[in-house]
This record gives sequence, structure tokens and C-alpha cells, in this order.
Amino acid sequence: MATWRLSSVPGLAFAAALCVWAPATPAAAQPAQASGCETCHRAQAQPALAAPARDFGATDVHRDRGFTCVDCHGGNPSETDKTRAKAPATGFKGKPAGQMVIAVCARCHSDAALMRKYAPKQRVDQAVEYATSVHGQQLAKGDTKVATCVSCHGAHGVRLVSDAQSPVYVTNVAATCTTCHADAERMKGYHLPDGSPLPTDQRTKYEKSVHHAAMVQGNDLSAPTCNDCHGNHGAAPPGVGAIANVCGTCHTVFATKFALSTHSQIFDRSCVECHSNHEIAKPTDAMLGTDKAALCADCHSEGDNGHKAATAMRSSIEKLKDAIARSAALVAEAENAGMEMGGQQLALREAGNQLTLARTEMHAFDPKPVEDVLQAGLGITAKVDAEGQAALAEVSYRRTGLAISLGAILLVVVALSLKIRSLK
Amino acid sequence: MTQHVFAWLDERLDLSGLRAFIAEKTVPKHRHSVWYYMGGITLFLVGVQVATGILLLLYYRPSAGEAYESVQFIVSHVEFGWLIRNLHSWSGNLLILMAFVHLFSTFFLRAYRKPRELTWVTGVLLLFVMMGFGFSGYLLPWNELAFFATKVGTGIAGAVPLVGDFLVRFLRGGDDVTGATLTRFYGIHVAILPAITTVLLGVHLLLIQRQGMSVPPSVEKREKAGETIPQEPFFPNYVLHDVMWWYVALAVLAALALFLPWELGKKADAFASVPAGIRPEWYFLAMFQTLKLIPSHVLGIEGEMLGVMGFNVAAVLLLVMPFLDRRAADGRPNRIVTLAGILAVIYLIVFTIYGYLAA
Repeated sequence: MATWRLSSVPGLAFAAALCVWAPATPAAAQPAQASGCETCHRAQAQPALAAPARDFGATDVHRDRGFTCVDCHGGNPSETDKTRAKAPATGFKGKPAGQMVIAVCARCHSDAALMRKYAPKQRVDQAVEYATSVHGQQLAKGDTKVATCVSCHGAHGVRLVSDAQSPVYVTNVAATCTTCHADAERMKGYHLPDGSPLPTDQRTKYEKSVHHAAMVQGNDLSAPTCNDCHGNHGAAPPGVGAIANVCGTCHTVFATKFALSTHSQIFDRSCVECHSNHEIAKPTDAMLGTDKAALCADCHSEGDNGHKAATAMRSSIEKLKDAIARSAALVAEAENAGMEMGGQQLALREAGNQLTLARTEMHAFDPKPVEDVLQAGLGITAKVDAEGQAALAEVSYRRTGLAISLGAILLVVVALSLKIRSLK
Repeated sequence: MTQHVFAWLDERLDLSGLRAFIAEKTVPKHRHSVWYYMGGITLFLVGVQVATGILLLLYYRPSAGEAYESVQFIVSHVEFGWLIRNLHSWSGNLLILMAFVHLFSTFFLRAYRKPRELTWVTGVLLLFVMMGFGFSGYLLPWNELAFFATKVGTGIAGAVPLVGDFLVRFLRGGDDVTGATLTRFYGIHVAILPAITTVLLGVHLLLIQRQGMSVPPSVEKREKAGETIPQEPFFPNYVLHDVMWWYVALAVLAALALFLPWELGKKADAFASVPAGIRPEWYFLAMFQTLKLIPSHVLGIEGEMLGVMGFNVAAVLLLVMPFLDRRAADGRPNRIVTLAGILAVIYLIVFTIYGYLAA
């Protein structure tokens, strides 16, 4: 069976041919009226034939902008006779598949002049990117099981990416990708670059990750999903050497620190070595150090420099954590006693920032800068402790003052009462 | 020493009239006399407000960028600033509580009846002004709770027919609660309301001195029947009683200031989400809760507008009560007015508690 390759000469020729038969684009963004195609297809008993007309007629971004069936499928919608409507002279193409889907979509979406009329900010290189993706490369090899535009965006009833009901809306991406990638039967025969079978548990793992929690529980739509690491139209697994760059897109400082470390030269899978890929758990201080739960002990043994560095960094971090907890308890006690401790609360936040900074510095795996930052944090907690103690002393002073004042007032009241009685 | 000063002043100002007034002035003594001291305590709390307010003025800075920080500075760095701020906040609340107690005791003892109508009218106006002090002062620390409560409170003014939008803009100094509102509220709190209070309080006290203390109709009836009502000298007996009550109020204030300090909370942030359980000060809570319970539309009229109009009508009825209750003027009992007063007290207590529990 002949396959269309967009990157090949026949593919481009096909795209050019589509441009020739393409009808004039709608002048204004007016929703299209129901065409003869729709009228006829809606009446079909077979769901597969009726569904496209129904979906396209309900909500479709293309329909909303005046496009009709003929813009993708060809044909003559004004003909009432099925045969004449689909005659070769009408340019009827039927249901596009494989490379033809890419070509049909790219006919408009790769046309910068045309797209400027509808979505001037939208990129027009999706088809080029797709050709570089694993999907695109497999398709070029003749593998028709791989995803094309319609696999992710839908064919009829296409919605804007920003529409929460779109299958490619940020919160739906994982479900859309795993429609295929969690299907063990469908994934059979595909392999990772190292030759191992392509896993199908990515979504299960991703849903346990800190990224998924940020998106679903924290409503953070900027939290990463599949396409943020793998790309969307150019979807492919990041190369081993590129992982730090991919993670560093968001975790910039960590990536910079990591690049300074000796680990960056040794770790084959950089960040993934400690944090894994799809099932990225919330990092804890327990990951650092040399006890059983710590990751460092997996490679380092007692006496080596790495072992010493890990022990020192973990110990310093725990010291600051304890100091912050102690200071916070003291500040809370003073606040409960009615003291204004806003300044101290602010200082404690700064101490917390130093702790975060130390955890960041740790990615260079050099104890010296970590210790410097932690000492700054300990300096803050020491000052807060002193102020907290002073506040508690002030509370005691105020209570003594009140007791004396109330005693004096009581004496005056008794004296007045006696005076009033004597006047009677 | 005191006698020397008085003699020096007397020589120059001829204080014989004042001396005679003080020497001759008496206060009736009966089983309801204790209510006379409520006015005195209210007056004392006004004095505390003036004194502590002036001290706060020395450090407070009325701008959106500095107000919160200046209050924070007062309570944490100024010597006894915490005490002054807490006394001011607590005294403001106790003042309104005592003003309500004074108002209702006066109401139930029918002290507003002829010839004391104007004393009542100035007293009711003073209560409204005190509530105005509370509303405007609440925003001044520029914290989150005050910011959003003021937003809701000033927004309610928009429900007044015809002039609602104007009122909202007038109160806020713009379309929304901003630094302009803070400056405006500050001006109202430290200049406009004190000026009005000075005039109203002056007239109120002058009328009391001029007309003397009212006695309840039951006591007046006994007096008319020929019974002699015991009197006590205003000075020193009554004044010493008053002072004793002031000391008690001072002790309560000091204990509240220390054990229940007024929280400063977080600095106001117009872009922050509205904090949960937002509600006005307790003396507006009954009205606030009522407005929340009124359906959005009643007989085609907007519910909130109906509620606000209802409160306005109630305020006017309260103000003109001496002129409505003609039976009191004749010394006859008026069960409808008594019942209305009891219902008003029950309504205020129940809806205030309900407002707290609902929040």
C-alpha cells in the first residue's frame, strides 16, 4: 500500500495537489451552514457514517470559522446524488488516513498566510515537527498504527487546545497519550532505544508523581504533563544526554547546580538517577545522606569523599530544620500570649528560604556552599530566638504590671465605696 | 492648694453661680437609679477614646502603603503602644455596648418623654455617630479582614434607592476600596465625627444638667401623689459613685487589653482572595445577618434594598420615638412601645449570636 510521506517528494506533491483543489477559504469567521454532506450523513443508520456529521455539527472550531466537510474531504456538497457528489471530478478524497491526515491538516496549518487570518499567534511548523517525532518517523516507515493529528485532536468536533473539553487540554493530555501508550496490545513490538520493550505503565506512574499532584490537587496548569518533557508534535523520549536540559526547563537553578557537580559527568540518566522519570515523588531530605533510606548510600560507602559529603550536608540541613521548628514554637507561644511577632514570622520565612536554598545548593554535591547558606539560616533563627525570649519576658512584665494596676484600682474602688458610705 | 486655685479663679471669674449649682444639684434615688451610671460609663469611655486616639495619632500614618506598618510599629516598638492600641480598640467596643445599654435603659424607663425629647434625639444621634466611629476606625489598621469587611459594608450602601451608587463612591472615594478610602475614613474618624460628637455631646450634657435626671413614670406618679422621693447630692455623692464605676470600667478595659489583645492580622491585599468567615464588627452583625437571610427579591423589590430601607425606617422611628409615644408624655403606660423594645433587644441579641455562629 502506498503511504504518503510529507517529508518526501510525493508527500509534498500531494500537499501541493490538495492546495489546488482546495476551495476558497471562508472570507469571514462565520459558522458554516449545514451542507448536503451533513444532511445526508446525519440520516445514515451506521453510527460510523452518522457520527462525523453529528460531531462536526455540534461543536467544531473549524465549523465555527466557516469551514465545511469539503475543505478536508473534497466532493460536491450541492449534489443531492451520492455518486455525483463523490465523483472524481469533484476532488473527493474520502476518509484521509496516515500521511494523508498530516497533509490535509498541514494544508492550512502550515500556511502562515492563511493561519494569520484565524490564529496569528499559532505556530505553523506542526507538520515539520511531526516528521521528526517517533510517530512521524514510524509513519514514514509505513507503520499506520501510530498517532496522527486526529488521534490526539479528534477529526470532527475539534476543539481549541484551550478548551477544557479538548483531548489535548493540559489536564487531558495524559489520558489522551495513554489511550495508546497504556494499551499493551497496541504497544507490542515497540521498543525503547536500549532495546527493552516500550512500557505501558507511564500513566499509572505519572499519576503518583508530584507533577500530577501539582496539576490535579494544586490546580497548577503549568505543572508538566507528557508533552512538556516529550514534546507534542515532535513527541519522542528525551535523549539520555538531554534529560538535565529537559528538567532544567523548569528547574533551572537545580540544573545549573547539577551541571557543576561531578555527578553530571557520571550519571548516565542525570536527574532521573535519583528522581526517576514518570513517578517523580516529592523530594525529601531523607534522600540525602548515608542511612538506609538515603540514595547516596546506593553508590557511596563509608570512608569515601561522597559518603562524608552526604553525611555533612544532611546533618547541617537537619540542624537548621530543628532550629526553625524551635524558633517557630517560641514565636507561636509569644503570639498566643498577645505579642506582635510579624517581624519574627517574616524572619522565619527567610530562614526557611535559606533551607530551600541549601537544598538547591546540595545539587552541586559540594558541602561548603551548603554549609555557608545553612549558617546564614542559623544566624536568623538565633536572632528570632532572642527576640522570642524577650517577648515572653515582656508578657510576664505586662502581667505583673496588670496585677499591680488592678490591685491599685481595687483599693481606690474600696476607698471610694467607704467614702460614699461615710457620706450617707 | 485646690482651694487657693479655686479662690484665684473665683476672684477673676466669679464662680459663685457654678458653686451654687453644684451645691444645690441633687440626683433622685430610687430602685432604678443604677441605670443613671450607664451614661456616665459611656462618657468615661468617650474620654478614653479621645485620649488613646490622640496618642495613636502621634505614630499612625494614614496611607495604604504605611498604615499597617505603622500600627505594627505602634504595638511592637512604641513604649506602651500595645496598651494604647488595645485600650482604644476595646474601649471603642465597650463604648458602643454601653451606649446601647444606656439607650435601652432610657427607652424602657421612658426618660425620653416630655420635656427630654431633645436629650433623647441627641443621644440616638450620638449612638449613630459612635457606630460611624467604629465603622471608619475598623479600616484604619489596613488589614485583610478590615479591608474586605469595609468592601462589603460600603457595598451595602449601594442598595439605598436613588443615591446608592453615589453613596458608595462617596464612602470609598472611588469605585473600589483603595488607599483613597483609607484617607477618607481617617479624615472622617479623626476630624468630622469628633466635631459632630463635640456638638452633640455638648448639647446632650447641657440638657441633662439643665433638666436634671428623669425619674421613671412609676416614681413620678408616687411623687405626684405627695410622696417625697429621696435625693442625693450630685457632689460629692453621685460624682464619687460615677468615679467608682469608671474605675471598674478601667479595670475591665486593662484586663481585656492584656488578655485579649486586638489582632492585627495580615496586611490588606486587594488581589488576595476574600478570607473565609468575613463579617463586620459585632454591632453591625445583626443587620448583616438579616441582609444575608432576606431573599434576593421580595414582592419584586430587591431584597437587600428592602432590608437597608427597613433599617433606615427603624433608625428614624427610634430617633422620633418621643414624638410617637404620646402616652409616655402623659405618664401612661404604652405596652406596644414596651413590646417593640423587648422584641428589638431580643432581635439584636439573637441575630448577633446567629451571625457569629453562621460565620
